[in-house]
Amino acid sequence: MATRVQFENNNEVGVFARLTNSYCLVGIGGSENFYSVFESELADHVPVIHASIAGCRIIGRLCVGNSKGLLLPNTTTDQEMLHIRNSLPDSVVVQRIEERLSALGNCICTNDYVALTHTDLDRETEEIVADVLGVEVFRQTIAGNVLVGSYCCLTNQGGMVHPRTSVEDQDELSSLLQVPIVAGTVNRGSDVIAAGLCVNDWSAFCGLDTTSTEISVIESIFKLRNAQPSRIVTEMRSSLIDAMQS
Amino acid sequence: MVVYNFKKIAPVPTSKDFVDVVLSKTQRQTPTVVHKQYAIGRIRAFYMRKVKYAQQCYEEKIARILDEFPRLNDIHPFYADLMNVLYDRDHYKLALGQLNMARGLIDKIGKDYLRLLKFGDSLYRCKQLKRAALGRMCTLMKKLKSSLEYLEQVRQHLARLPSIDPNTRTLLICGFPNVGKSSFMNKVTRADVEVQPYAFTTKSLFVGHMDYKYLRWQVIDTPGILDHSLEERNTIEMQSVTALVHLKACILYFVDLSEQCGYSIKQQVSLFQNIKPLFEGKPLMVVLNKSDMKTVDQCSPEEQELVKTMQGANVQFITCSTLTEEGVTGLKTVACDALLTHRVNTKISRAEKAGKESSVLDGIHVAMPENRDTSERPPIIPSSVMARMQQGETTKTQRKLQKEIQEECGGAGVYSMDYREQYLGLKKEDWKFDIIPEIMDGKNIADFVDPDIERMLEELEREEEEREARGEYDEDPDALDDGLTEVEREQLDAARRKKATLRHESMMARSRNHPTMPRTVAANRRGDLSARGRSMDEHLEELGYDEDIGARKRARSMSEARGRSRTRKERMDVEEGEEGEAMDVDGERAAKKMRMASRSRSQSVPRDVAGHAYKDKTQQEKAKKITKKVVKSAMKVKGKGTARKGEADRHVPNFKPKHLLTGKRGIGKTDRR
Repeated sequence: MATRVQFENNNEVGVFARLTNSYCLVGIGGSENFYSVFESELADHVPVIHASIAGCRIIGRLCVGNSKGLLLPNTTTDQEMLHIRNSLPDSVVVQRIEERLSALGNCICTNDYVALTHTDLDRETEEIVADVLGVEVFRQTIAGNVLVGSYCCLTNQGGMVHPRTSVEDQDELSSLLQVPIVAGTVNRGSDVIAAGLCVNDWSAFCGLDTTSTEISVIESIFKLRNAQPSRIVTEMRSSLIDAMQS
Repeated sequence: MVVYNFKKIAPVPTSKDFVDVVLSKTQRQTPTVVHKQYAIGRIRAFYMRKVKYAQQCYEEKIARILDEFPRLNDIHPFYADLMNVLYDRDHYKLALGQLNMARGLIDKIGKDYLRLLKFGDSLYRCKQLKRAALGRMCTLMKKLKSSLEYLEQVRQHLARLPSIDPNTRTLLICGFPNVGKSSFMNKVTRADVEVQPYAFTTKSLFVGHMDYKYLRWQVIDTPGILDHSLEERNTIEMQSVTALVHLKACILYFVDLSEQCGYSIKQQVSLFQNIKPLFEGKPLMVVLNKSDMKTVDQCSPEEQELVKTMQGANVQFITCSTLTEEGVTGLKTVACDALLTHRVNTKISRAEKAGKESSVLDGIHVAMPENRDTSERPPIIPSSVMARMQQGETTKTQRKLQKEIQEECGGAGVYSMDYREQYLGLKKEDWKFDIIPEIMDGKNIADFVDPDIERMLEELEREEEEREARGEYDEDPDALDDGLTEVEREQLDAARRKKATLRHESMMARSRNHPTMPRTVAANRRGDLSARGRSMDEHLEELGYDEDIGARKRARSMSEARGRSRTRKERMDVEEGEEGEAMDVDGERAAKKMRMASRSRSQSVPRDVAGHAYKDKTQQEKAKKITKKVVKSAMKVKGKGTARKGEADRHVPNFKPKHLLTGKRGIGKTDRR
């Protein structure tokens, strides 16, 4: 189910956390409030750990991962990597990569089977992504944006993309990723989807500003609480049209 | 989208306060001391400033009021009509119009008196003019007393109006007094409207909000309306009518079949028929309320007939009871759904007309994947999550959260969690808390995380050795074959060396702790303009200058030491050198000496620093003349040749002139010695 959270009065929760199906990294904040929201939802099932990358807490934008692996940017210090490796189960491969575009979270968007990447990513990086995360890799843009990791949120059950993505692009992405795709917003109309939302196959966390319409779209497309994506075009159709600013 | 918020209008002062504020502000913000012996220009300026300031002050304040109050023509017609009903459009416009007029008049007074002040010939006259100006402005404001009071009342009332958004999803409740409108409102929203068993309990519009289908809905409770003609309606009823006319809402017309409200069914039906034109093009629900008392079936046949006359194309009848809450939720659902369908249809048809249908419908497209291969991509959900989902999500986690621990241990900022507690997969539990140094024996331990790193290194080295042994790294002359001849290669090497040297030089230059100089300036210093592509000399010659002036001259003069040179002149050296050979030509030498002695010594002229800015001597002379003139005129205009800044300049350059304070005193001469 989707939970509304804030990180120190900031709605961009996807910036401060990285959620996958087998672990969750949470940025180190001034208090444990943000961490505990994730802890109460997830800690019974997967490890929820504090982490920093290059001394920053914007870990959601700096690293990328799925249930099989975690990629860290070259700015990660040895100590931070040691901490992350110790905290994650051995089944998760932790790899630091030498990539010029060091905000990996902004440049790569992945689930457990397919990944979209920034078009300018190194070829070596692409290979590492494929090997470590065990995914097929496609270089793509979303609604003309190269930062696929910022404008797209992806799980094994569905995906949400930038609200200005054309219908044709959505269809293409959907066939590429093999999951249903919808264009939507979070945080009361914000188009940086991945910044306002962290989601995995059974739970989602979004910014406190997210409206109930947005939440219901999120729950439907990511099939949380047994919702079906088709609900968006049937049950919610009129609400969505009416809520849309024209 | 416009947001109507009338709560931010600043209070309007009474006319007395207005005058007080402006006068005291003028007094505080302008100079206060003036003397009659001042120059008349200064006195005039003093009073003109006061008049101008007071006028500006009035103007600003009035403009602010005019800006803040909503203009009836610019706001949504619902609000415009509501304001007309509540405050009377004419009165409101008149009040604002008067204010605007006063602004113009005050402006005019200010201008007139400024003009008069220019002719004021003494302090007294100027002062009287100022008094008259301010006095007239204040009289003008005093006449606005009633308008200002009225506007203040309007402001206070506006601020208390409910913030109704005329464009959002709205349910509008209307009907006779006492039929249960406010009770329904209280049931579906948390507005907590007053409910009393007498007519006209609700005297103005009330707003409540509720959620349905992920959307926020606005419910408006209107005062009851009686069945009479529009002219007879009072202000309270007119508010309802205004809302009915202008809001594109779903209308709930409440009917009390039990007639407990004091009005017969006939009256209620007749009112419905009367105000029916207002319901045009809106979803309409006829709510048969108080079903706990009486339902349609219990009515007499005549009454049933009457009720049936209300039927129409888009009218739905709904029975409910706000007392037992029977049918209330049903009513809410039906009404909201009807309005939503109506709104969506309107929106789509409007988009179709504008040819932009896709823009509306694109927003709700779900792209479903087409299979591109046969592989399965199931979700990865841990079994514990699955189990919990089957149990139902109500089960809360049993663990003690870090937040709770944090609160127990002194709160945020005091408590910090030990992240090592969460380490997994270590062989022994107590290894978790081992201290791991970052650097040990001068080595980064992270480099040795891999247990078989040494073995791998050895392997690599061995491989390397083998390669070396095989001669893979030997210098292979053929490998360098890049199709260059020996000469070309040499040239290439030379070019590369030069490049490296230049790079090194520029690096050295940049690393100096020195202010950096623009390249062009540096080039000028060096005497060439190569940075611009040609030499300074060329440039100067092109401009027709003698080559000995300008940068070159300056460069030479800077490089030459001033004063007597410590070595003998070159010329002399030459002469001395020649002496041996020219010994016999003694006469010539003597003549030269004579000539030198007869010549007068050249005077040393101080180096004219500014001289470099002039083209030639005439230009320099001209500039000097102009300077002199300017300085002279400055001395003349301000005071008696003393270069005073103005009459307030009391600067005494020398308080203790030496000639007055030194030396012996004679008899009785203390001022001049």
